[in-house]
Amino acid sequence: MSCHRRCVSTSTPSLASTGRRLAALMTATALSAGLAHAQEVGNGRDKSNAAASGDVALLRKLEQMEQRIRVLESQLKQKDNQEIARARGQAPVPPADGKPAKDRRDGDDPTQPKQPKDQKGLAGMLKPDWATPVPRDLTGKTAPVNRPNSIIGLVDSPVTGMSIGAYGEMKFGLQQNPAAGGQWQNGFDAHRLVLLPTYLITPNIIFNAEIEFEHGGSAFDADDKLHGSAEIEQIWIDFKMIDQFNWRAPGIDLIPIGYINEHHEPTAFYSVNRPEIYHGLIPSTWKAPATSVYGRLTDGLYYTLQASSSFEDFGGDFDKRTDGNAVPPFPTGYPAGITGVDALGLGRPVVGDFRQLSNDIAVTGQLSYSPPMLPGFNGSVSAYYTPNTTPRGAYADAGLPLGRSSLTMFDAEFRYRVPNTGVEARGEYVFVSFGNPANLRANNDTDSTNNVGKTMYGYSGELAYHLPLGNFLSTDWELVPFYRYSFLNTQTGGFAGSDLNAPTGAGQTQFHTAGVAVFPSPQIVLKATWQKVINRDPAGANSDSVLGGVGFFF
Amino acid sequence: MTSWVRLTLPAAVAAAISSPSYAVQYLTIDAAQKLAFPSANRFVENGSLTWKAQAADRLLGLFVVDHVIGKHLYIDYAVALDPTGRVMRVEILQYRESYGGEVREPGWLAQFVGKSSSSPLKVGSDIRNISGATLSSLHVTEGVRRILATYGSRTR
Repeated sequence: MSCHRRCVSTSTPSLASTGRRLAALMTATALSAGLAHAQEVGNGRDKSNAAASGDVALLRKLEQMEQRIRVLESQLKQKDNQEIARARGQAPVPPADGKPAKDRRDGDDPTQPKQPKDQKGLAGMLKPDWATPVPRDLTGKTAPVNRPNSIIGLVDSPVTGMSIGAYGEMKFGLQQNPAAGGQWQNGFDAHRLVLLPTYLITPNIIFNAEIEFEHGGSAFDADDKLHGSAEIEQIWIDFKMIDQFNWRAPGIDLIPIGYINEHHEPTAFYSVNRPEIYHGLIPSTWKAPATSVYGRLTDGLYYTLQASSSFEDFGGDFDKRTDGNAVPPFPTGYPAGITGVDALGLGRPVVGDFRQLSNDIAVTGQLSYSPPMLPGFNGSVSAYYTPNTTPRGAYADAGLPLGRSSLTMFDAEFRYRVPNTGVEARGEYVFVSFGNPANLRANNDTDSTNNVGKTMYGYSGELAYHLPLGNFLSTDWELVPFYRYSFLNTQTGGFAGSDLNAPTGAGQTQFHTAGVAVFPSPQIVLKATWQKVINRDPAGANSDSVLGGVGFFF
Repeated sequence: MTSWVRLTLPAAVAAAISSPSYAVQYLTIDAAQKLAFPSANRFVENGSLTWKAQAADRLLGLFVVDHVIGKHLYIDYAVALDPTGRVMRVEILQYRESYGGEVREPGWLAQFVGKSSSSPLKVGSDIRNISGATLSSLHVTEGVRRILATYGSRTR
């Protein structure tokens, strides 16, 4: 093309041989041929004798046509550049400064902003490219390129508004097995893979779910040796009304208490396992049939108010409930859902088949605060109350029925990343109170060691430091060493009920947890954690561990 | 329990009906333009979803609308740049997800003011991470960085 343009323009100044030049111009323009070809054809028509005056008019017209072709070419080039930029998800290149495409093309990545290279003077030199006058974009205002969302980041979703995210964690390493007298055992757990489908039904109505596969599968299959679960961890539809008030329709939802119960993706904490407070005192992942309202009260202050199926003092399998939705009849006996050893770890309500063991509804309220005057600080207070945790047909092993007992939980926590430093601090306190411990199954199950007092509590403090490691494999790595101290007391004393009281001291536990978390990107984390567990059991906690982990969230 | 529903439901319905314009769109493009350039009397389109703000014929800056994906869904945001290519203001126009709305906090968005294409714009260094809105804060920051790379560069 450049040859064509050159050969045409070089011939224009000369008026010596109008006829020949005219023939060459016509041929070159029509056929986009080279100079030699044009002249050859022109020579062949040398003897043609057109009228001189008509030639001049025609020549002018041709020159105009040529000019027009150049303009069109440059516009086409601009349009191509914009297409390329758009295809790469970038904002379009601002239209050119009116110069032919040839001058702007050389060596420029079409997605990079163009710099005015000339004609702008000092003012132009000091301004970004867009500040200089440009011809109006003929494409006009266009809507955002509404690409469909992705399926786990791999391919575009076939359904606009539908996307599937995922998080998961793998764990491995050495840990003491208290059931084997504290023997150190090497192991691996594909702990969880969670798929997160979201569908924007309308801009104000949003579907969300979490489908969780735990421990590598769900089948009991001797060949594949699977023994995990597949569960719906969350499923709900949000009606976003106004900033201050939104409604989450009844579904399976997380209890909004503390921070990690709701934000339990492995990138949200630095240890391989979740913080110790969430191992039972807060029975993470604590989910329940629930509905809630939530919103923003003022700058940085958010609330959630939730009604949910009550926690139940029943630790048996799903199939141990009777068809009457009661505990197995006397004198079969049944395990407690609230114990001094596992805290509240076994008593989450069921989410399926209308098999709840009581009519009671719990309420949870949470206030989260990110004060504008203290950047980097996030905190929350939350409280859970259920009027009764005793299941239908509950009884003591002596045969006496057990009456109602309420449960109140209070949690306060903060996370503070000191601005402009790598320092991060976290702290949490949780307190549980039982309305009538004499009615708790653990205090009436003839096991004298798992008794529950009037209260349980726990606290933890954590320090972490964020250290940038630089760019490697085209991503910015970060190293986060941390140390956390946790103390849990799930057997405070003041036991009641029909059992003898002989707690072993296993309910009072200290945890020293230290390690590093390496974030190749904020969506991936590689973890190494050392943990020392100390309790008051004369036999020892026998639960120390050295674990590695891989987590992701996208 | 039922009393709680009795008390809040009418309030919710009333609130939803009385202010439907709020919805989940917090700012229209027009409103965000006026917030960013109160003295501008003209916004001249400068390409797709990009405007030059002008007072008379004086150039006040550039206004760019773009979107990023938060955790799952799009966040629409706008960036106002001054004529030297520095960020004057960042606004969230529309936020659709159930979590992570904290990126709308003015205090967090104010961190972008004064940033230029030579600023690092990295969450965790010059921009704070929001715990609970990790992906949203990460992606909005990347979006602003992208806009600065496209429009905010200067000729050396």
